[in-house]
Amino acid sequence: MSLVLIVLPILAGCALFFVPRTDRFISRAGGCAVAAITFFLPLLAGNDGTFAARWLSRPFTASLHWSWGGLAFWIVLLLALCTFCAVLATNMAQTRTMVALLLMLEGTMMGVFMARDILAFALFWDLMLIPPFFALVGWGGHRDTAWRYLIYNFSGGLLLLLSTAAFGVLYGSTDVIGTTHQLVGQWAPWIFAGFALAFVVKTPVFPLHTWMPPTYSDSPPAMVSVVSSVQSKAGLFGFLIIGLPFFANAMGEWRWAFIVASLVSLLYGAFIALMQTDAKRIVAYSSLSHLGLIVLAIFSQNPTAIQGAYIYIMAHALFSAALFLILGYIEEREDTRSLARLGGLGKANPKLAGAFTIAALAALGLPGLAGFVGEIVILTGVFKNGYFWPALIALIPIVLASAYILRLLQDIINGPERPDIPHRRDLTWVEGLAVAPLLAAVVILGVYPHAVLYAASLVGVAR
Amino acid sequence: MISNPYTWADWNAVLPLFIVAGVAVLILLADLVMRKSNGWVSMLLGIAGLIAAGVVAAQSYGQAHDAFGGGFVLGGFAVVLQEVIIISSIFSVALMHATWRPERMGGVVALILWATSGAMLMAGAANLMTVFLGLELLSLALYCLCALADRPASREAGLKYLILSSTASGFLLFGMAMLFGATGSVTLASLANPAAAANPLYWMGGGLFLIGIAFKLSLVPFHVWSPDVYEGAPLPVTAFMSVVTKAGALAVFARFAYAAVPGGVSHALLVPFFIIAGISMIAGNVGMLAQTDMKRLLAYSGIAQIGYIVAALAGGTALGVRYAIYYLVAYMFMNLGAFAVVAINSPTPAEEGSRIESFQGLGARRPPLAAAMTFFLLALAGFPPTAGFLGKILILSTNVSAGFPWLAALLIAGTAISLYAYFKVIRLMYDRHVKAYTGAFARLPLAYVTLAICAVFVVVMTFYPFTPSNVLPLAK
Repeated sequence: MSLVLIVLPILAGCALFFVPRTDRFISRAGGCAVAAITFFLPLLAGNDGTFAARWLSRPFTASLHWSWGGLAFWIVLLLALCTFCAVLATNMAQTRTMVALLLMLEGTMMGVFMARDILAFALFWDLMLIPPFFALVGWGGHRDTAWRYLIYNFSGGLLLLLSTAAFGVLYGSTDVIGTTHQLVGQWAPWIFAGFALAFVVKTPVFPLHTWMPPTYSDSPPAMVSVVSSVQSKAGLFGFLIIGLPFFANAMGEWRWAFIVASLVSLLYGAFIALMQTDAKRIVAYSSLSHLGLIVLAIFSQNPTAIQGAYIYIMAHALFSAALFLILGYIEEREDTRSLARLGGLGKANPKLAGAFTIAALAALGLPGLAGFVGEIVILTGVFKNGYFWPALIALIPIVLASAYILRLLQDIINGPERPDIPHRRDLTWVEGLAVAPLLAAVVILGVYPHAVLYAASLVGVAR
Repeated sequence: MISNPYTWADWNAVLPLFIVAGVAVLILLADLVMRKSNGWVSMLLGIAGLIAAGVVAAQSYGQAHDAFGGGFVLGGFAVVLQEVIIISSIFSVALMHATWRPERMGGVVALILWATSGAMLMAGAANLMTVFLGLELLSLALYCLCALADRPASREAGLKYLILSSTASGFLLFGMAMLFGATGSVTLASLANPAAAANPLYWMGGGLFLIGIAFKLSLVPFHVWSPDVYEGAPLPVTAFMSVVTKAGALAVFARFAYAAVPGGVSHALLVPFFIIAGISMIAGNVGMLAQTDMKRLLAYSGIAQIGYIVAALAGGTALGVRYAIYYLVAYMFMNLGAFAVVAINSPTPAEEGSRIESFQGLGARRPPLAAAMTFFLLALAGFPPTAGFLGKILILSTNVSAGFPWLAALLIAGTAISLYAYFKVIRLMYDRHVKAYTGAFARLPLAYVTLAICAVFVVVMTFYPFTPSNVLPLAK
């Protein structure tokens, strides 16, 4: 069954290339239908949809093995939801091509998140890098952005490949995700280092983040909403399913390097976000800051913090997807992302302003919304493990987040109306429908995080 | 009466070679008797002959037999390599334009078939004489083929290849003579004599021999000829050389490394060879970055790819040969698929369609063709779900387990460098901001067939890895 979630979107994406180039309706309707199927299938199937077939028996055993059980379950739903919203929100000159890329991205990322075999994980890891590259080639503003994105991420993917091969040789099998076994020996820390580099490039974490702000600000909003919300979580998810169950010792050895890097990301992202004037870049740097918090949680190796990390993965995905989609709407209407040129949108566009406010407040960590639950659980866990100073330092960017998010709200929604940009209309119902599920999920996760918390308690436990 | 020392089984072993060489003669005769030259007849006859040879060769798969007193061995390894050579030869013939110079087609196809038979001889060669015989048969035909395009660069390519390749053959021959002097035997298996390793002649001979092989494999620093020759030679010939000469030389190297080097010294004699394979991975990919011609780009890509394949043999493990063969087969499909696209994009004898600008805007002009090119370039770069991806995983793991982690690291570094070069082409095809090229496309029905077959196999091989088990190249 899980194979359907991978193959269906990819095939549907390929099939869309047979639809006329200028089509907007068939591709969006079809794309939404496919995303809805991938959302409801795991929800209603009542099993974990395991698909397994032997792939290699030498030099190590590997299987084509996928399942949406365990940790993958919520992420699969999240991915399907984000894809649904992104497809619905796509409205541009080349809608058909964009939707096709989004569907292919969904299918390949399904292959990453549902993988039960590290080689299958690595296979789809590399594949999922391709659709955003084409989005950057087709729609990106600057020539270098696509290159930077590709070279950074695929170099990470190659390290992942090397580590996968070494893992297979050392352990004899890569069909291991979902089990736990601590690898020891002189090679273990280096194999982990390969995995970890691939993961932190994708996340990203300072100082390997330089590809991220241009990629996020240059990509079309639909693509960046999926990339920032779900694809950036692939690395963090990799830490949960490969790092903790197999390399807990190695993680302990590298701990301080990663904690320092994550704290620098937290602070650096927040400070840069304060200074940016491009709305998309503010959200991009806030992502760097927020994801640093998750890396900190994972490397504290405290069970509570890791649960918090899992929740925050979900929460960040939801609000960053919503934020990027809404910023896309704003850019489409006003033809600018610059804070200096925007202002006073709230008066003429109450629906747009309302949606933007909810998403922004979730990013700020307002209690009652999803972001808060994750942050507080992470900080509690990190503190409980005795990391007093890291927990304290991590508080600073959370305060700074209020500053840059409120500035974003203030400059776009409130403030004086700009008379020189006359063309404004409020959200159409399709546009509203595209962000409504995300915002609803932000609220639900904020007041009732238990379902996700249970899944998070499974981290590092054999299933 | 002198009794014939050779049995029917011996002749049977070389039957596929005779078929290929015989069909070549047949093609020339057909060309002679037909009133008006027709390129299609030569092409189809050649392909039919190659297919027949392939079928016959496949019959002896797994039947180890030392024909002609150990001069030519059959068995898994030789048969698989012969099939690789035959298939790439079929694909190269399929890329030819039957209508450009119909009066010349017969000769061209015949020469390709003779070159093929030479490479097939190398695939099974188990003594130094047959190695040299096969190599010269291959090279002599190629000297002519390289010079056959109607461009000045082509003559230059032919001459360059003639001079450099003969020099390398000289090295090889000198090395062989020294090896013979040191061991008193030309059979590869009996070179593996530990007593001989004490003789400096053996080391000098082995070194010279390997230099000759490195030239034929176009490993750095013996690679300089290959971009120039690839660029100058007619496109089908370039496609042919990029796989067949490498497959033939690889067969010789594998058999030498696995069977002809005495246990104790193998490391010291072969490690330099693996080092230059590692350098090739880096230098080939770096060289690719600056290229503006697809044939040159693929030449540099081939230098790096052959480095990966040779690296699989490091450590001399049984699995290493299987993975080298796997990657060679994968390389054949990926590379010839890419050449097929270039051929379709080059409708004129000047072959300006192989320039990189000719790919600008291909994504909008011919979406399926651009998609195919993207796919093959991604495969060469090692992206999943292609055989290039799995092949790299297999080579990495064999390197790590055989104690050559530095080769694995070089492979990763080389691949990272290669990304820019492959994606440069992909980007040109899809970038809407560049001016689209407006040349015509060639009518090459067989090239489309080639392309489809290659694409299918590149995917299928990923999920059903073809790594035959009884392929040790031992010359016992």
